[in-house]
Amino acid sequence: MNSIFVSGGKLFLICVVAALTLGIINAITEPVIAERKVLELNMALNSLTGELQAAEGVIVGEESVVRAYYPVLRAGKVDSFILELNGSGYGGDMKMLSRYKLNGEIISAKLMDNLETPGLGKKAENPEYMKKFIGSGSSNPVPVLKSMLEQSEAEAITGATITFIGVAKALDEGSRFITEGRLAKVKE
Amino acid sequence: MLKEFTKGIIKENPIFIILLGLCPALAVSTQVVNALGMGAGVIFVLLGSNIFVSLLKDFIPEKIRIPSYIVIIASFVTIVDLVMQAYAPALSRNLGVFVQLIVVNCIILGRAEAFANKNDLSRSVLDALGMGIGFTLGLLLISLIREVLGAGTITLFPIGAFNGVIRIPVLYSAPARVIGLATGALLVMGYLKALLNWFDQRKKV
Repeated sequence: MNSIFVSGGKLFLICVVAALTLGIINAITEPVIAERKVLELNMALNSLTGELQAAEGVIVGEESVVRAYYPVLRAGKVDSFILELNGSGYGGDMKMLSRYKLNGEIISAKLMDNLETPGLGKKAENPEYMKKFIGSGSSNPVPVLKSMLEQSEAEAITGATITFIGVAKALDEGSRFITEGRLAKVKE
Repeated sequence: MLKEFTKGIIKENPIFIILLGLCPALAVSTQVVNALGMGAGVIFVLLGSNIFVSLLKDFIPEKIRIPSYIVIIASFVTIVDLVMQAYAPALSRNLGVFVQLIVVNCIILGRAEAFANKNDLSRSVLDALGMGIGFTLGLLLISLIREVLGAGTITLFPIGAFNGVIRIPVLYSAPARVIGLATGALLVMGYLKALLNWFDQRKKV
């Protein structure tokens, strides 16, 4: 009986020390990580807007595919929108930023935080990966199926089809978010 | 004494001889840079856990040794994960979930259970370093073969103007993609193990 309490007490002690140490480490790294995330978002926004500037972001919701949008202004007028999208990939949620023309056509896109498999789904982080989506969304439909891609492109995503479908569906949803006028509803 | 260090590198190599920690090894060995990052993480965690398990071997009662080891290992893994996220974000993004999965890497618990709780501090440190380096070298070998054949590139850290990717002329335009996939990981691992066994048998004869 006694030995149970001794063992339990010792295990508890180990856990307390471990928790304390981790608390300290977390307190040191948390601000650095948060700062880095903001920096990363700004850099990603800048790389998508090119010479233009993205205006202050508007939060859409925590549950929807479209999480937030940033109007891109040219000479004071809205030229395009950058949407923050949340797709569902092989390893869980994937955060994306994508810039659309006002007619819903994809100008550029970028995969941000994700948990895809290194070497397979992670390849979607390469700028070349998004090329197959650029220009689609208005007159051309966004390729949401492997069969809508060209042969060589379809081969390149072999082994990471779920990532591809996740990215494509989120981009497609983003396009419809703009063309179906849901932007205005959020504004009100 | 030095034997404790060198044994992990060849004679008891975790990947090729003891065959431990294969699942993260095969999963991250798609690029050389991942192998280096994963190797560094494993060496750090292994060193930390071996040191603490060795120091606490008289304090931890027999009955609760496994949960205690897991708490120690998990703490070190969390430290690696947080530090990587803060100071090496690119690497942390590349390795993804496999950093957290170092917790269940059998080598680390295996060394705690089989070595560190029976030996003194200096031996445990040498054992951790040897095993960690052996794991890293094994991982490097697999990832080098897989990346060169499967993608035609060798990805290292970007330094200055060099973007970190070496492209191999012929293979880059026509890589054997299957080597980069999960199937290829098992194939490469199997052939390497077969090759090692062949050498081993020839030596005996």
